[in-house]
Amino acid sequence: MIVFDNVWFSYGEREIFKGISFRAKFDERVALLGESGSGKTTILKLIVGLIKPDRGRIFIDGVDITELSEEELIPIRRKFSIVFQEGALFDSLPVKENVAFFMRELLKIPDDEIYSRVSELLRLVGVQGSEELMPEQLSGGMHRRVAIARALSVGKTKMFLYDEPTAGLDPINSQRIISLIEDLANREKTGFMIITHVVYVAWQLCNRFIFVENGNLVFDGNKDELISTEIPAVKNFIKELFFKVK
Amino acid sequence: MLCINSIFKLFKRPLYIDDVIEQMEYAGSSSVFIISLVCLFVGMALSLQLSAELGRLGLKMYTGKVVGIAVIREIGPLVTALVFIGRVGAGQTAEIGSMILGHQIDTLRVYGIDPVKKVVIPRVIASVLMLPCLTIIGDLICLFGGYYIAVFVSNQSGSFYWSSIIRELNFQNVFSGVIKPFIFGYLISCISCFYGLTTHGGAKGLRTSTTKAVVTSIVVVIAMDFILTRILLYALGFSV
Repeated sequence: MIVFDNVWFSYGEREIFKGISFRAKFDERVALLGESGSGKTTILKLIVGLIKPDRGRIFIDGVDITELSEEELIPIRRKFSIVFQEGALFDSLPVKENVAFFMRELLKIPDDEIYSRVSELLRLVGVQGSEELMPEQLSGGMHRRVAIARALSVGKTKMFLYDEPTAGLDPINSQRIISLIEDLANREKTGFMIITHVVYVAWQLCNRFIFVENGNLVFDGNKDELISTEIPAVKNFIKELFFKVK
Repeated sequence: MLCINSIFKLFKRPLYIDDVIEQMEYAGSSSVFIISLVCLFVGMALSLQLSAELGRLGLKMYTGKVVGIAVIREIGPLVTALVFIGRVGAGQTAEIGSMILGHQIDTLRVYGIDPVKKVVIPRVIASVLMLPCLTIIGDLICLFGGYYIAVFVSNQSGSFYWSSIIRELNFQNVFSGVIKPFIFGYLISCISCFYGLTTHGGAKGLRTSTTKAVVTSIVVVIAMDFILTRILLYALGFSV
C-alpha cells in the first residue's frame, strides 16, 4: 500500500505539491493525469524515495520512507519496477548488457544464466534478436520495451511504475506498449501506476484516475466518475476521450 | 562533500575494476595525442623565447637548463592539467550530466547501486592515475620541442641541451613536477563529477554545468599550482 499523507514539495521557489494525500494498493491500476509540469513524475520519484518531501509523510507497506537513508530505502525500492520516460537505457551498453546490468550487479549469477534470462525477457517484450544493438539504434517503441525487460530482470515486483510509456510513439507502437503493460500486469498479478497525458492510454489500462492540477489532487475516481465529472480542468483534459469513444 | 565521500567509499566493495579500466583508457590513452601536440608547441615556443632573450645576454647555452626546470616543475604539469580539463573533465561533466537528465542515475539509485561508487569513483581513480602518466609524456614532448628549436633554429649543441636537462633531474625538481598531477587529477575529476551530478534544466542546464566545471577546474588548478609551488619550495629547501 502506498500512502501519501499531506505531502508538500517544491523545487526551489516553485511549489509543486501543496499538501496532497492519497492511498493506492499495489494491485490497483492507477493513472496519474495532469498537464506537463504538474508534478506527475515527482510523485513517482517521491514513491521510490529519489526525492524527499518538504513536509508530510509517505508510507510504503506501512513504513514511513521520508526519513530513510539510501541504504534503508533499497528494500522499499525493490518492491517497485520503474520505467522512466524514454527508457533511461545506458547509452554505452548494447541491449543485452542493458538488460543484464542489474542481474550482474545485484544477483551475482553466472553469465550463462544471465544471458539465457536476457533472451527470455527480450522475447517476452517482443524485441528478440536485438541483443547486440546499441540503444541509439533502437526505435522509440523498442527502447521502451527493452527498458521494461530491464525492469523485470531482477525478480518479482509488487507494482510497476511507468513514466509516460507511450510519449513520442506512433499509434501502432503505443498500442504495442499498452498491450505489453496489460499482459505483464496480468502475468505477474500486480498493479501499476502510469503517468500519461494521453487520456486514451489511461482509459484503456486503468480503473482509477488521479488528476493533478496546481499542486493539488483535484480528482480521484473510477471510470464512471471520470466521465461524469464536473471539474472544469478534468473535463477539459478528457475531451479527447469522448472524441475517441465516438 | 563529494571529494570526501569519494575517498571514504574508495575501498568499499564493490570495486568496479572494469569501469576503472574503461575510464583509464578514456582519460589516458585517448588523451595522449592532444596532450603531445599541445606540449610540443609549448616546448618549442618556450625554447624560442628563451633562446632569443638569453642570446641577447650571451647566455644562450642555458636554454636547456631553463627549459628543463620550467617544464619539469611548472609548465608540464600545468599545461597537461589544463588540456586534461578541456578533454577529460568536460567530458566527465557532460556524460554524467546527460545520465542525470536521462534518468540513468535515478535508475541506478532505484536498484540500490550507489552512483558515487559506480560512476564517480572510477572516474576519480582514472584521473588520479592517468594525469601523472600524461604529464610525464607531456614533459618529454615539451623538452623534445625545446630541443628541436635549440638545435635546428638556435644552432645550439644538442648533447649540451640534453646534458643540461639531465643535470636538473634531481629529486627536488622531479618530485615537484610529479606530485602536482596527482592532486590536479583528483581535483579536476571531483569538480567535473560534482557539476555533472548537479545538472538540471535540459540541454541549457548541461551547457551551464559543463562551462562551470571547466571554469572552476581551471581556476582551482591554477590556484592550487601556486599553493603547491609555495609549499614545495619551502619543504624542499629552496630559498625564494
